[in-house]
Amino acid sequence: MTEDNIHSVASYINSNYDKLIEREIPIPYNQSIEELAHILLTKYELPKYIEKELIQDLTQFIEAKEKEFYDTYVEEEVSRAKNDPDYLEDLTKQWEKLFKEETAEYAEKKCASDEELFASAYHKLVHSPALETILSVEHLYAKAVRRRTDQKDAFIQDLSEKQTEEMNKAVDRLEYGMTESEINELVAKHYEDHSLLKVRYASELDTLKEAQRREYRDWVMKMLEYNQENSFPPSPSSPLLTPTSPLLSGPDESTFHENVQNREKEPILEESFTIHLGSQLKQMYNVRILTGNVEDLCIIPVNESSELTPQLLQTALALYSNDLSGLVLMTDNKIGSRVTKDFQENCLKSTEFHFSHIDAQLEKISNIARDHFGESASNGSRSPGSDLLQCGDFYLTKHSNLAQVHVIFHLVSDDTLRGSDINSRHPVILGLRNVLKTACSNDITSLTIPLLLQYDITEEMTTMWCERRAELVFKCMKGFMIEMASWGGSDLKNLQFMLPIGISSQVFHSLADMLPRIFKISNPKILK
Amino acid sequence: MKISLFKSPELQFSATTFFAKQHKGETCGSNGLPLTPNSIIIFGKAQMLKTLKHPYLCEYLDIIRGKHERTIVVSQFCGKPASEFIGKNQLSISEVKKIAFQLFTALNELHKKRIVHRNLSCENILIQSNGDIKLFNYGSYYMTNNGQLVTFPIMKLAYSAPEVYLSPSKADIASSKVDVWSVGIILIEFIFNKQLWSNLKLGQQIRKILSFYQCGTSIFEKIAREHNCFDIYHNLPQDIKEIVEQCLQINPKNRPSCEEFLQNEMFVEYKNVKCKNPSRVCKPYQIFTLKELYQWWQLTGGDVFLELKKQGLIRSSPPVLSLPCLIMLDGTILGQGRNPATLYDFRIVHMGLDTLYQRFGHIHLNSCYPLLHFKSDIIDMFDPAPYDIKNLPLVIKEKDPEYQFHRIILFRRLLHGYPFTKDMIRKEAKKDIPPLLRGEIWAALLDIKADYKKAYAVIDKETVTTTDRQIEVDIPRCHQYNELLSSTEGHIKLRRILKAWVQKNTQYVYWQGLDSLTAPFLYLNFNDEAKAYHCLSAFVPKYVHKFFLRDNSAVIREYLAKFSQLIAFHDPELANHLHNINFYPELFAIPWFLTVFSHVFPLYKILHVWDNLLLGDSSFPLHVGLSVLTQLRTKLLTAGFNDCILLFSDLPEVDIEKSINYSIDTFKKTPKSITAREHQNEEFTIQSEHDISGVTLDDLNKERSPRISARDTTDLLRTAPESILVIDIRNPVQFSRCCVRGSINIPFSSVSFGESNIENIGQHAQMLKNSQERIVIIVGSTDTDLELFPKFLLNCGISKVCVLHGGFNILTSVTPTVLVSQKFET
Repeated sequence: MTEDNIHSVASYINSNYDKLIEREIPIPYNQSIEELAHILLTKYELPKYIEKELIQDLTQFIEAKEKEFYDTYVEEEVSRAKNDPDYLEDLTKQWEKLFKEETAEYAEKKCASDEELFASAYHKLVHSPALETILSVEHLYAKAVRRRTDQKDAFIQDLSEKQTEEMNKAVDRLEYGMTESEINELVAKHYEDHSLLKVRYASELDTLKEAQRREYRDWVMKMLEYNQENSFPPSPSSPLLTPTSPLLSGPDESTFHENVQNREKEPILEESFTIHLGSQLKQMYNVRILTGNVEDLCIIPVNESSELTPQLLQTALALYSNDLSGLVLMTDNKIGSRVTKDFQENCLKSTEFHFSHIDAQLEKISNIARDHFGESASNGSRSPGSDLLQCGDFYLTKHSNLAQVHVIFHLVSDDTLRGSDINSRHPVILGLRNVLKTACSNDITSLTIPLLLQYDITEEMTTMWCERRAELVFKCMKGFMIEMASWGGSDLKNLQFMLPIGISSQVFHSLADMLPRIFKISNPKILK
Repeated sequence: MKISLFKSPELQFSATTFFAKQHKGETCGSNGLPLTPNSIIIFGKAQMLKTLKHPYLCEYLDIIRGKHERTIVVSQFCGKPASEFIGKNQLSISEVKKIAFQLFTALNELHKKRIVHRNLSCENILIQSNGDIKLFNYGSYYMTNNGQLVTFPIMKLAYSAPEVYLSPSKADIASSKVDVWSVGIILIEFIFNKQLWSNLKLGQQIRKILSFYQCGTSIFEKIAREHNCFDIYHNLPQDIKEIVEQCLQINPKNRPSCEEFLQNEMFVEYKNVKCKNPSRVCKPYQIFTLKELYQWWQLTGGDVFLELKKQGLIRSSPPVLSLPCLIMLDGTILGQGRNPATLYDFRIVHMGLDTLYQRFGHIHLNSCYPLLHFKSDIIDMFDPAPYDIKNLPLVIKEKDPEYQFHRIILFRRLLHGYPFTKDMIRKEAKKDIPPLLRGEIWAALLDIKADYKKAYAVIDKETVTTTDRQIEVDIPRCHQYNELLSSTEGHIKLRRILKAWVQKNTQYVYWQGLDSLTAPFLYLNFNDEAKAYHCLSAFVPKYVHKFFLRDNSAVIREYLAKFSQLIAFHDPELANHLHNINFYPELFAIPWFLTVFSHVFPLYKILHVWDNLLLGDSSFPLHVGLSVLTQLRTKLLTAGFNDCILLFSDLPEVDIEKSINYSIDTFKKTPKSITAREHQNEEFTIQSEHDISGVTLDDLNKERSPRISARDTTDLLRTAPESILVIDIRNPVQFSRCCVRGSINIPFSSVSFGESNIENIGQHAQMLKNSQERIVIIVGSTDTDLELFPKFLLNCGISKVCVLHGGFNILTSVTPTVLVSQKFET
């Protein structure tokens, strides 16, 4: 069936009947011998009554040839095995490896890792009445981090102000005997003080987070034990209800800096569709087009008076489920690039209780990339030892402390995306296909994509430009989704196309109108 | 009381599961299309295993594909693994001989079918209560294409022949001799009552087996010495010793084949004990089989997947923990470790049947033996009340275990009696068709003859022809969402059937669409290509006669013209709208009728449409087409030409059951001659002077309302005069001289056709407006215009208008007459 199957060809010759019958027969022969006989009967215009004879003759011929074929095939191997003990030893090693790598019977028995244990504990708890407790504890922890961060910012600002004042004075005194070198010294000292303070607070913050993380994880495990022993959820008076450590409250009762970032709330434009794909068998998807930015999906608002937002519930419930939610974040070829600095800072706003912190994750990816490029140095386009990526590559980070997403696809793009003449073979589009494929094979069933593949609105982005770009992305995504149905993974359920906030409502509506023209909208069921 | 019937020890099954190899990166097949996922190739290949039935083999029941290339195999499992006996009960030599005989018999059966077990061990030999064996899990190597479609090795460490270890690369050939070696090892274990090399580690075991290549003496003897069993070895009867020695020949060339072993004199005594088959004429009859039990079990809520999960064989570690880190543009995945849950785990999970027993507990024994031919009140009294869910929707009926139980019991009997029970099958099929037996029932409805296999075998399906290229292009696009049809095996089978059809029907050509038409038959008869072919061959002349002519335009255009007329007949408003926006059936309905909707709907819907089609005639597709339009009616009525084109370019979801019921309804209400065509197959129709003939395509295209035959008119006049309204448009003089009984006269000349207002026709307008359900038959003569009047009625929105073919004069020859003379009436 496949070409790499081992086979040979035998020539069948039969001269028993007036004519000479010749036929090349592949060995081993996997088809029906009866059919072969009839083909020969027709071809050589032989009388029908010899059918049985011919079948028998063919059968014998094929059997003999097959036996011969197997025998010679094995013969070679066997004689080698008899004479070469090293070869046998080599084989043993290969088999051992294969069995250990592929079968559960011989593989190293690994107990469930800490990660897995914690995951299952957490998953069980969030699917119990304890859900709310857990989320509110998380929220309290986040508040503590927030307080500390604010404090740090305040101190640093204080210092900066003081230093500026000092500097101003020094510069004023320049004419009165202050030398330039002294000024330089001062600058150096200021810089040192400043970074020292920063580092100190940063490490303090890290310590706090680490402590929080440990405490939280212990507490979750205890909660689980408690839940298993008592079939009812802990009563509010239970000591287990909340950890009471100082980690929750922070250093002092300093209140939040109400740096109210009340962004000019632009009205969020959005429209939802239920579409179906496939020519005969129709598959349903939810598609949404909306304006917004990455922050909206990531930031959990934390301040003194903040309450839990309902989306968090969903995010927590799905974290260890088979319905993950992902976001495509455009970045440049440097892993952990400054382009996504805002995003990285968002991740650090609260403690990551489940996975490594973003820096550690990026560091790991960077190492993997370096190793890989080092290995495949022959690959001309990539310089060995560097961890620079190419347009269309992407890396994944996972998060438990973002508002609506678990997985971020950091998709590498470049300046060509600003142009208007990209087509479906552009690396970023192909990267999107890989994103979809990865989502499909890792149970990521909700995905958000920047429709224009850009976050900022620039002058080049005319209505025409937007429409062309949107059309390209819509059509390509449609193609990929149809393709995806045959990949045998999990189906995408929700797909969101995000547009930059500042986009005019006219452009938005023209793009939203385009969607049902490209995707087929499902027939609404009408109750009669 | 009859639950014991279900509780037979043989009626048990279990499941195993594994992962198929994932395709690496972005690879394409030689045809430029994406590669078929390995799990689908396995799915297709494994279907053949379901046909194997042998007393010493467990029956394969089902193959299920899960997400991420998981494959689950469901198979019969009864008795206890032989490994549980070893070390406990020492078997007598004669018992060992019997097992040897049965092993060789079972393996020979497999080898003849070109299946190599390769995984043979004491664990998958199941010992029945009577001491017989059944081999389990013998198809893994076969279904994975000699192990090439999976990453793990298909073999059993201590039992595998040494040459298996010589080629760790996957591309290995399937030699049946490896199984013979395994038999040797198994026999030794039985004789010594000991598991061989049980305390050796993995590497040591492999080394041990490979060391046999260095062994100059008898391998059997060597093993005996190593296991301190030399005494047993020494005292062993020569014949069995000989067998084992031969099995353990280091060179496969010197190892006899199973067939040769069976010639051994030692086995003569077992050979004559054959399973008794009382009848040589027909196969022994079972009231139901394990396959059916398995289906009922599924319907009662049995779920293999769930059962595997419950018993820990499907472990799901959260996907968020095993995400990859980095994916390159070329698809290289970095930083994703092997998920331990995807390793091969050979454990077997047994399926509990308790819910089935509970659900079927109350079923009366009589229900298993339905009386087909004779039934009396007295017998009826003792029968339990019939299980009645007739009026529920089809989907519910198909999911109801008890209903399906009764249907399958009944249909199995009827099919067993085919062809003598043909009429009864047809009658029962009108109610509904149980999905499990659909393939066979369809074959019966299409009159497939008993010698169909031979007839198919003699057709040449290999020789290259000119249509091959087109077939090659179409197959990978035909219902590929379906696992069977997208599998490699499915592609091969579909190609063979199509080639056979083209070869056999030289008067026709291969038109695109024939592939879709074949798909349902292949889907239903995947393991019986010949039957699928014959179903297609019987289907084409009956339902799409002449559609596959090289120049089929006349046939198709006639069919479409009839479709337009049928729309006008039942739904004048819609017909008028489509007519006004110039949206003709040519623009959307050709694939509908050319493929009888098999290119339009997904398979599960086609099956239900065709269930009914096979009971109807070649006009049924027209009614289905009408019903589809009816479902889209509100949308269509407000749509312009462009919207309509868009709407049909990707047909919206259609509620199929509603559509079928509607089509059956219109099919029944429409006189046959309304849809009669010049090009329909004469074989299935009787022509007389009172039927319609000789209508040219041009005429047909001009006439917007259909014609009705004199035969149908007189039939209606005689049997249901209240359901028709005959309008005579000749002049009053002719009318008063002689007219159809009960007809009304609206002289053609008295009507002004200027505007579409029904009032223009005068006193009878009210009657026509209220005619709704009545068929309006227009009777004219050669000197009246038979186009304008019906067109006028159509424009006025009067439904069910048709014109008598042949005019008034045709009726004069009808006896007994349906005509009256006014003179005599008054």
